[in-house]
Amino acid sequence: MTTVVPGVQVREELRAFVVESFLYLHPDLELKDGDDLLALGVIDSLGFVELVEQVESRLGLRVKDVDITGENFGSIDAMVAFVGSHRSP
Amino acid sequence: MCGIAGIVRAGPGRPVEEPALLRMAASLRHRGPDGFGLARGQAVGLVSTRLAILDLSHGWQPMRSQAGSVLVYNGEVYNHAELRAELSREGASFRTRTDTEVVHAMLDRRGLDALAAFNGQFALGLWEPDDQRLTLVRDRFGVRPLHYALTARGDLVFGSEVTAVLASGEVSAAPDLEGIDDVFTTWGPRPPRSAFRGIGQLRPGGVLVWERGRIVREGLWWRPDVACRDAEPTTDLGDLLRSSVGLRLQADVRVGTYLSGGLDSSLLTALAREVIGPDLRTFSLAFESAQYDESAAQQRVAGFLGTQHHVLHISARDIAAGFRDAVLHAATPLVRTGPVCMAQLARFAREHGVTVVATGEGADELFWGYDVFKEVLARRAYLRDPELTSAFDDLYPHLGHRARGPGWQHAFAAAGPADDPLFSHQVRMRATGSVAALYAPDVVAELDGQSSRERLRRSLPPEFTGWTDLQRTTWLELHTLLEPYLLAAQGDRAAMTHGVEGRYPFLDHRVFDHAMSLRPDRKLRGSQDKAVLRELAASVLPAEITNRRKQPYRAPEVAPFVGPDAPEWVQDSLTPTAVRAAGLFDPTRVEALMVRCGGGRALGQREAMAFVGVLSTQVWSEQHFGAGVVAPEQEARRPRVFLELDDERAEATA
Repeated sequence: MTTVVPGVQVREELRAFVVESFLYLHPDLELKDGDDLLALGVIDSLGFVELVEQVESRLGLRVKDVDITGENFGSIDAMVAFVGSHRSP
Repeated sequence: MCGIAGIVRAGPGRPVEEPALLRMAASLRHRGPDGFGLARGQAVGLVSTRLAILDLSHGWQPMRSQAGSVLVYNGEVYNHAELRAELSREGASFRTRTDTEVVHAMLDRRGLDALAAFNGQFALGLWEPDDQRLTLVRDRFGVRPLHYALTARGDLVFGSEVTAVLASGEVSAAPDLEGIDDVFTTWGPRPPRSAFRGIGQLRPGGVLVWERGRIVREGLWWRPDVACRDAEPTTDLGDLLRSSVGLRLQADVRVGTYLSGGLDSSLLTALAREVIGPDLRTFSLAFESAQYDESAAQQRVAGFLGTQHHVLHISARDIAAGFRDAVLHAATPLVRTGPVCMAQLARFAREHGVTVVATGEGADELFWGYDVFKEVLARRAYLRDPELTSAFDDLYPHLGHRARGPGWQHAFAAAGPADDPLFSHQVRMRATGSVAALYAPDVVAELDGQSSRERLRRSLPPEFTGWTDLQRTTWLELHTLLEPYLLAAQGDRAAMTHGVEGRYPFLDHRVFDHAMSLRPDRKLRGSQDKAVLRELAASVLPAEITNRRKQPYRAPEVAPFVGPDAPEWVQDSLTPTAVRAAGLFDPTRVEALMVRCGGGRALGQREAMAFVGVLSTQVWSEQHFGAGVVAPEQEARRPRVFLELDDERAEATA
């Protein structure tokens, strides 16, 4: 099943999710969409797994194991690009 | 046995008052429900509460020797029969069958050199009136607890538990932010700290000597050498473990084992069954959620061995109901709910007439069973070859199919610098550190960069840098997880809440020496951990148990405290007003955490630890510094022994 989320909303949805889920534990961090979430310590290995699962359930995607990479999920920009390329034909 | 406590004065004119000793005795009654004893002189007061295990009608403490020293002693020295025979050959005579008297005679005759001969778990205080000297000692691995405080006047107050030190009235309760920061880094306050300012703990293998108002010696009588020996062990692991189990099951009361269904407790139970026979009692926890439950494996082992098996079913409601009591006895904030369940299992064992239980703690540290050992090797391998795309794939299968692949791998690699001596523990410390991210600004300012990690780095022994990653991991597991958490909040304090004594056959120092002598591949071979233990287990257990992959012991964390069945006190403890009053966390951030947990949106173990960390801190704070403070009561029963130390003739027994 694919949930259709308008493209402009994807970034907001992802950003809101990251802020709500992770940033309250990093109140002094001003996160930019291109920032590396792993390098900044915003998420760790378990957070990364949680992040992928949430992207799947919120945006109705099925993410293949080979696609779970830092390049695809390491930042909000990366996730937006990944979702954009997989969300619709 | 038991609980011990005492006060020694630096100078004359301030006698130790009996009510203070009676309060200390009452605070340790759960450790020694069978009775208590006191010793009192002008400059000293000693307390013992007893859980009678050997020679039930004798052996009351404090015990005075012919040499004039007075001993309070908690624990067991298992090779006491052998030591008794040795001393008897030297002309010593004994009045009881207890190990206490043997320990006392050994200390009188050999001083601290006696300690190396002790095989056991113990904490003791020895008062030598002629020298006005108090010696405190703790066993090698820190199985039995020992807390102390030095007052501004130079008096020393000690007790098995923090509550005994506080009950003396000589020390007031205040949080120790560095001790708390230890909890939110490595799960428990690390000795010499506790979670209370000014109240220290002897380190495992520690000794402290106080003389006339001054601490004249504070150090270690034993330290774990985790470096691999040059030679293969000359001992046989099966013989050693059988000996260790046999020694630890000698008691004049009914004994049992805790059976988790994993390799270590199953092996231990098989060896205990050889000693005790079909009357052996085994006790297990069962959870509603399959995520935590190991019932099938437990039943398989109990059925195979033929033990009297008892299962305690724990619900979310049980965890919520037992939480505050577990925090009270742990005397520290917690990041997990495991201690709650272990306390209930101890109560359950006691209800079945069992006062001594053997458990499998120590095997994962000594034989490299924990995932952290594989994790450190995988991280090093990945650093050497970033093309190794599957290095982390099988590390944490219980986290599901997402716990694999390049992204998962990258997250491990990003956990911290490769030259950090704490490299092996970076991932765990980062996850636990989620709690510290909620600190109030004042707490951050007061810690002033003195993070728990930094203090840990400074406390590493000089030889640490010469060790391999796996040896370093062993040392860190012994000093950051085993003693501060597994043996404390989840071990001694949980069991002693209900007067049950835990015994740990894998923590026999002979087993430790054997394990450290093994070639690394005898412990960790590819993905197979505890190889040598599995080989031994194969001779006494079915293959599906000996080949079973470790399932970390965990209990539900957030679920018991949210939703319609959650008790009211949870919300009350976490209101912004309550959080502000306790002063340790930022109310706004706690509120954000609560919104996520309350809405069922908390993600994984980082936030689960944050939730349990905050809730337990609030409960702990209220119990010791807030509205929940209860004035310590005095022991109302008559002491079984009352030694008047200033009058040799006035020894009275009730």
